[in-house]
Amino acid sequence: MTTIDGLAAAVTRRRKFSKRRARAGRMFVAPNLAAVAVFMVFPLGFSLYMSFQNWDLFRPAKFVGLANYRSLFTGDPLFSIALRNSVVYTVGTVVPTVLISLAVAGVLNRKIKGINFFRTIVFLPLAVSSVVMAVVWQFVFNTNNGLLNIMLGWIGIGPIPWLVDPKWAMASLCMVSIWRSVPFATVILLAAMQGVPDTLYEAARLDGAGELRQFVSITVPLIRAAVSFVVVISIIHAFQAFDLVYVLTGRNGGPETATYVLGIMLFQHAFAFLEFGYASALAWVMFAILLVLTVVQLRLARRRTAQEERSWA
Amino acid sequence: MSLWPTGCSSDDDALTFFFAANPEEADARLRVVDAFARRHPDIKVRTLLSGPDALQHMSIYCAGGKCPDVLMAWDLTYAGLADRGVLLDLNTLLGQDKAFAAELKADSIRSLYETFTFDGGQYAFPEQWSGNYLYYNKKLFAEAGVRPPPGRWEKPWSFGEFLDTAKALTKRDRSGRVSQWGYVDTWAASYSAGLFGVNNGVPWSTPRMNPTHLNFDNDVFIEGIQFYADLANTHKVAPTASETQSMSTMDLFSAGHAAMAQGGHWRYQTFDRAKGLDFDITVLPTGPKGHAARSNIGTTGLAIAASSRRKQQAWEFVKFATGPIGQEVIAESGLFVPVLRSAIESAGFAEAHRRIGNLAVLTGGPAHSEGMPVTPEWPKIGSLMDRNFGPVLRGARPATSLASGLSHAVDEVLHSP
Repeated sequence: MTTIDGLAAAVTRRRKFSKRRARAGRMFVAPNLAAVAVFMVFPLGFSLYMSFQNWDLFRPAKFVGLANYRSLFTGDPLFSIALRNSVVYTVGTVVPTVLISLAVAGVLNRKIKGINFFRTIVFLPLAVSSVVMAVVWQFVFNTNNGLLNIMLGWIGIGPIPWLVDPKWAMASLCMVSIWRSVPFATVILLAAMQGVPDTLYEAARLDGAGELRQFVSITVPLIRAAVSFVVVISIIHAFQAFDLVYVLTGRNGGPETATYVLGIMLFQHAFAFLEFGYASALAWVMFAILLVLTVVQLRLARRRTAQEERSWA
Repeated sequence: MSLWPTGCSSDDDALTFFFAANPEEADARLRVVDAFARRHPDIKVRTLLSGPDALQHMSIYCAGGKCPDVLMAWDLTYAGLADRGVLLDLNTLLGQDKAFAAELKADSIRSLYETFTFDGGQYAFPEQWSGNYLYYNKKLFAEAGVRPPPGRWEKPWSFGEFLDTAKALTKRDRSGRVSQWGYVDTWAASYSAGLFGVNNGVPWSTPRMNPTHLNFDNDVFIEGIQFYADLANTHKVAPTASETQSMSTMDLFSAGHAAMAQGGHWRYQTFDRAKGLDFDITVLPTGPKGHAARSNIGTTGLAIAASSRRKQQAWEFVKFATGPIGQEVIAESGLFVPVLRSAIESAGFAEAHRRIGNLAVLTGGPAHSEGMPVTPEWPKIGSLMDRNFGPVLRGARPATSLASGLSHAVDEVLHSP
């Protein structure tokens, strides 16, 4: 009897303890949860609600059903321009970013003297704000006295109107975006590269594989998850581009519509035209596009990993 | 008197006054506020200085329930706020203050006053004229042996005479690079191009208020725009957008690298302080189809927020700043062109601009101005213009292309906002 009573008391004590722990856990999580609810869930829900309304900040919101989405897809010629520009900007940023980051991370992964100095140099742009960076690049892109055109002049190339001519503006924007994105991508890829076992490289070397072959056949396949992560994050960042465009080529995404991307379109409708319902609809369309892209990318990555595991087996 | 860059707390009962200004202009504003405080010690005023985008700044204040009591209003953008019920119709208060109404009517310039008359309401009173005219460098004119341009709006000069002058004043170095421009524009290029259209005899729109069509498809208006675009692209007397990236047009004129600069009185302080710059002012040229030299109305006014809890104090402030005393303070400050006849013609205004020989260009400016369209849809039209004027101003397309592209897009916005 005494043993049974003792056991029951121990169980009760344990239950009480685990309840107390659960309560404490909830208390610890509560502030964070409240912040997520206030600053993420509520704005998300509110913008979804607003996307079905016509609202200009001052007059009461008016329910318009799917009208905002309908006019976005059928009645606004600028949406297709903004979408096309965003796709060009995303591709023009992500592909070079990944390729350059792979190469830079490969170089920085070497065990040579003073490598930490070079790593610091490469990572420095990460610490600079986008707006500051854009202002500096404005000077670099100056047609008559910009650093870039002066350097091109040394090899006999005439001045290029980087930010003034619509044909060059998007290319200029992509260049700055790549310059900004490479350090972050390099950090991720370098960390992944450092996790690749040395024994694999030793074995490859014994089999006569050169540096490039080792990089392509060992490094890249083994850091595929990190590359995949970099691609997803870079696509999301590029698709949401705003600050860089706003500073470099102006609030209208000029010249003409050359850099009129979705982020600029959203800002313009919300804060210049005070069409918050329409801007919310656009934000949700952007979210849907990004969601689809991310899911497809993750599925592809997962399938590739599974295939590789099978081939390894 | 303190100047608050941002924020709009409700911790005291001060009247809040929102305005946009560069540092010199802010100084003039504070002089008016100080003068008001001396006459109305019972009304405390707290100033709120706008960020770079005043309309956006103002909208956010008002949408957040903290609309400043007195708001600066711009001729091109106030209609959007009036249409949304943000601004108070001042006719009610004016009706109760017959003496001030009569004084204002007698002393005002009608076109400027009516700029803020929208949909039957009076949403602001004008307080300054900031229309465009030309600054010219007297020394460069003398060196080139070119006759000084006219000094009054009633005495116009033609597009041809202006072009000849600009050509005579454009200089190139041995490499062919321009060392001195005949003409530079310190205003917004697409608006300036339209002003050349107006000077060719066709207004931006008819009617001016709430138009349903703008004259971007009018051949004569287009001709004026083309003339403006040709100054840089064909005649090479004005810099292109690329050529002003390293040095702003304002700096080109200040440093003596440009003989004529288009702009308004807001450039006066900068040019006045530029070392070694001896300048005067002249009127804009008139096109072959134009009837008279014209500036743009380009005015700002003072409005009262419809939601203000201090309407009476706000009314006293607006009355003061746009009335004879406030206007006299503005005239003496030399930082703005006042809008009441008595202040424009005052000795204080002339004294503040004593280095200007052709003062009639300033004093006659408000009466020789034509307004730009007033519509709640202006932000959309402005952005359409920015996009469509680009190829024309670069010389990639003729101005006639505006008739098919921009004109239809603008009409669509005006018909179904």
